[in-house]
Amino acid sequence: MSNTSRRTTVTKVMFFFLKKLLFSSCGYIIPESPVLTLGSNFTALCILNESCLDFGNIRANQIIWKIKNSVVPKEQYRVINRTVSSVTFSDTSTLATPLTCNVLADGQIEQNIYGIAVTLGLPPEKPENLSCIVHQMSKTKFIMTCTWNPGRDTFLATDFRLKSQWPLETLPDCEPRGVNNSCDIFNVQFFVNLEVWVEAKNALGKAESEHIDFDPVDIVKPLPPHNLAVNSRELPTVLKLSWENQITVVVMELKFNIRYRISDSSDWMEVPPEDTASHRTSFTVQSLKPYTKYVFSLRCMKKNGLGYWSDWSEEKSGVTSEAKPSKGPPLWRKIGISHSPNSWTVHLIWKELDRSEANGIILKYEVTVRPRPPLSCPPEKYSVNSTNLTLNLTNGTYDVTVTAHNRIGGSPPSVLLIPASNSKASVKDIKAFPKDGKLWIEWTAPDNSVVKYVIEWCMVSDSSDCSTEWQQELGTSQGTFLKGDIKPFKCYLITVHPLYTNGQGNGQSTKAYLQQGMPAKGPTVQTKKVGKAEAVLVWKPLSVDEQNGFIRYYTILYRTVSGNETAVNVDPSKTEYTLSPLSSDTLYMVKMEAHTDEGGTSGPVFTFTTQKFGKGEIEAIVVPVCLAFLLSILLGVLFCFNKRDLIKKHIWPNVPDPSKSNIAQWSPQTPTKHNFSSKAQMYPEGSFTDVSVVEIEADDKKSFSEQDLKPFNLLKKEKNTSEGHSSGIGGSSCMSSPRQSVSDSDESESAQNTSSTVQYSTVVLNGYRDQIPSVQIFSRSESTQPLLDSEEKPEDNPGGGENATPRQQYFKQNSSQDETNTDGSHFERAKQVTPPVNEEDLVGLAQLQMSGHSSQLCGSGPERNKTESALADALSPSTEGQILRLETMGINTATVDEIPKSYMPQTVRQGGYMPQ
Amino acid sequence: MKFIPAGVVPLLLMIHCRLVVGRALTVNPSSSMCENTHVCKPNVAEQTRKLVVLLNATAQDLFSIYLDCQGDPFSSHLDELCNANGTNFPDFHVNRTSHKDIMVALYKVFAFLNASLGNITRDQEELNPMAKELLERLHNTTKTTRGLISNLTCLLCTDYKVSQVNVTYGKSSKGMNVFKKKQQGCQVLRRYVQVVSQAAQVLLPHLSQA
Repeated sequence: MSNTSRRTTVTKVMFFFLKKLLFSSCGYIIPESPVLTLGSNFTALCILNESCLDFGNIRANQIIWKIKNSVVPKEQYRVINRTVSSVTFSDTSTLATPLTCNVLADGQIEQNIYGIAVTLGLPPEKPENLSCIVHQMSKTKFIMTCTWNPGRDTFLATDFRLKSQWPLETLPDCEPRGVNNSCDIFNVQFFVNLEVWVEAKNALGKAESEHIDFDPVDIVKPLPPHNLAVNSRELPTVLKLSWENQITVVVMELKFNIRYRISDSSDWMEVPPEDTASHRTSFTVQSLKPYTKYVFSLRCMKKNGLGYWSDWSEEKSGVTSEAKPSKGPPLWRKIGISHSPNSWTVHLIWKELDRSEANGIILKYEVTVRPRPPLSCPPEKYSVNSTNLTLNLTNGTYDVTVTAHNRIGGSPPSVLLIPASNSKASVKDIKAFPKDGKLWIEWTAPDNSVVKYVIEWCMVSDSSDCSTEWQQELGTSQGTFLKGDIKPFKCYLITVHPLYTNGQGNGQSTKAYLQQGMPAKGPTVQTKKVGKAEAVLVWKPLSVDEQNGFIRYYTILYRTVSGNETAVNVDPSKTEYTLSPLSSDTLYMVKMEAHTDEGGTSGPVFTFTTQKFGKGEIEAIVVPVCLAFLLSILLGVLFCFNKRDLIKKHIWPNVPDPSKSNIAQWSPQTPTKHNFSSKAQMYPEGSFTDVSVVEIEADDKKSFSEQDLKPFNLLKKEKNTSEGHSSGIGGSSCMSSPRQSVSDSDESESAQNTSSTVQYSTVVLNGYRDQIPSVQIFSRSESTQPLLDSEEKPEDNPGGGENATPRQQYFKQNSSQDETNTDGSHFERAKQVTPPVNEEDLVGLAQLQMSGHSSQLCGSGPERNKTESALADALSPSTEGQILRLETMGINTATVDEIPKSYMPQTVRQGGYMPQ
Repeated sequence: MKFIPAGVVPLLLMIHCRLVVGRALTVNPSSSMCENTHVCKPNVAEQTRKLVVLLNATAQDLFSIYLDCQGDPFSSHLDELCNANGTNFPDFHVNRTSHKDIMVALYKVFAFLNASLGNITRDQEELNPMAKELLERLHNTTKTTRGLISNLTCLLCTDYKVSQVNVTYGKSSKGMNVFKKKQQGCQVLRRYVQVVSQAAQVLLPHLSQA
């Protein structure tokens, strides 16, 4: 053995041991990495190496089988011999990978001997429903797509292949890309029968579909014809289509479907298939409507019906040629108001023809108006471009015809008879209601035959006029839908006119809604009258625009604050309702609902309070009270009347009228004295009465002579014979009066007897408050009733201080012309000319006047000025005129100073007049 | 096999073709022509006619495109350079009346054409690899020809009981220069246009009666 061979042998031995050391284990499992069918049974063997038997003293009965980490029950083990153990699984679905073979070394230590990976899955099912279609992609390019049902999931990598072959040649397989149920074959060859099937294969087996045999040209879905063109011909009812087929006739002959529709319609019509069952590139579509735009589309498929229809081609449209209008325009009239009683204003109106009837563009309308006998006018013709014509016609019956003309010719005439009066029968039982989303109107036809009906309608609204629309219906119809824009919730007034060959019937009307809704608002209720137990409610009916439907009834809802609500239904024709019975003096809340068929809507709440007393209750109380009061008044008046003398005596005693006093008769010097006054000369006699002051002091009687007292005696005597005229100044007589003024004899007498002082007033000619006395009268300038009292009741003034102090009396001769024209009393004049002066001022004025007069009587100038100043202060709001009057008063005073005073004895205080 | 020189296989193929060209291929009765042949479907005759018509419809375009792709002088001196007599394209006599003879003649023509189209396609893929339309048409015509041969074989074997047909193939263009390759292709295709037109005319009435 050479060195080389020896070296080789050593190398081999070393390799053997190294291999044994590195790669050998104590055993292995067969089968190695099996692919198992789910649900099948499976047996694995673990075979121990002999070496392990020697070194480890391991036997097959020590083998433990595990699935993942789970120990397989030992019932499934079987020790075949000393080195082989098997495990059996009756159902591989319980298997999991890895399956390991282990042993318990040294009693308890588990050591892995070997493990295998188990793959579970299913064999492929037979592909089903294999079918193929050839799609045309371009004029020369076709793709055949075959699809099939691959069957259940195998859980394994499964290879599907589409196999094909000609009769004598097998073609390359088609391998699906990314899918397992279809495959595309390019470069399809027609006119050779092709056998196709699908083969599915995986680790557990393979399956093959049924073979299908076909000529690919029989399963083509061609491209649709393109470059479609539509051309009109002279005939108005035909259009010619032409197109290009995208598949050559040598490949296949085609048949076609041609569909078409009117451009504004969505409903397709189709040319009979038998007319297009042959290969072609054009077709003439007939029986079309004149002057109508049509849209066309077509598709194709193999002539013998094998294969598939192409998609529909692009749509192309064309318009047919014009033709004469097929019918006259619907014609109607409106009779207007004419200024002349012997003529009408007739508005002829007609509708534009539908496009399908116009058959072209209407260029004009020709209207002929032909009067019927007895009118003898010749027919008149009009040519108009609009759809209405207004004519003034003499009263009578007319035949009106209208024809529409387009470029080709005129339509048949539309005829309308306009009778002198609508004397024919009307329709009956007219009803209108919604139907199928539209408004349906129906009626019962009259007994006579009707040529046609005209239905007029308009939308009733408060905000706009009733704009009338109309339509015609055949004389045989008894109902129709309104053709127009009928809106919901709007009230329509619909009128049906029957037209006869020789006249018209009156129109019959009804109202209807296409759709009713709840009213837009409820009525606003308020009270017209509120009583104790009832209230009269009034409301304004809803306007038509607010109703949204027919108001079926109103509901009045009322309640007290805490009470239950009460509802009362009211007829919709009423606008007033009386609520009763109600509780008196109670707050009620009332509202009102308007109801249509669809529901009701409430109006605002109105509150009112019933009255506490009913009608007549107050009168029943007040009237008796008043009557009783009046009765008592009446009785009192009667009593007073009966006792008037007694009352007069106590309340209104007679005051002797100084003007009637006879004392004037015994004052002979008066006229001369009066004439002595320059002012008296300015006035005629009788305009003024002389002023005299008579003051009789009882204590001074002695100072008078008998002659001086004689007139008093006379007066006393005459008083007794006086007729009782009283001036209100009791007890004294006045001078120079042409009339006697005698006080009540008793009183006067007593006054003469008891009073120590007798006052006489200034006698002025002018009357009280502009009343001009008929005769010269006397008045006492400052005399007030207290003076009378003092006269009449001297006992009220006990002869104390007042009697001790001579009363400041004077009689002023009123010579001022102003005063002549106004009041005789300064006091009253001041009152009148200074209305803003308050009563206190007036009182002050009176006092000032009195003091002023006193000053005048005293003849003290400064005193007088002071008095005037005080008087002006008291009359601060007064005007200049007032001050002037005051000055006049001063002048008068001065005059008085100059005038010889009364010769009657006077008792004056310091500054007063002394008796003359 | 790894150790076989790279030029051996083409050499063997070339030798084989050279042996084939120039003499009729004898069809062994037990050869593969009628092997695996099953009953022909009734539509095969019609399919055959349509295939001939289809080839006739596309032949002229194929030839025109071929000429365009070859450039001058073929397009300008067509008659001189593309004389059809320069090939041994099988004749097709239009005066035949026998269906069987027509089928046999068609088989010879299209068997020759199929082999020639193989050469032409291979040459054009080399000479005009960018002429997509030409190549596509050559592929389509080749496949149609193969389909036609399949149908003819079926008809001959089953309907006409012909199990052997002597066919000829043209010269292999292997080793020819570019001009010769183009010229041979031009001659074959020009003759193909003429023959397939005659076949289509002849075949139409006969097959319509069949």
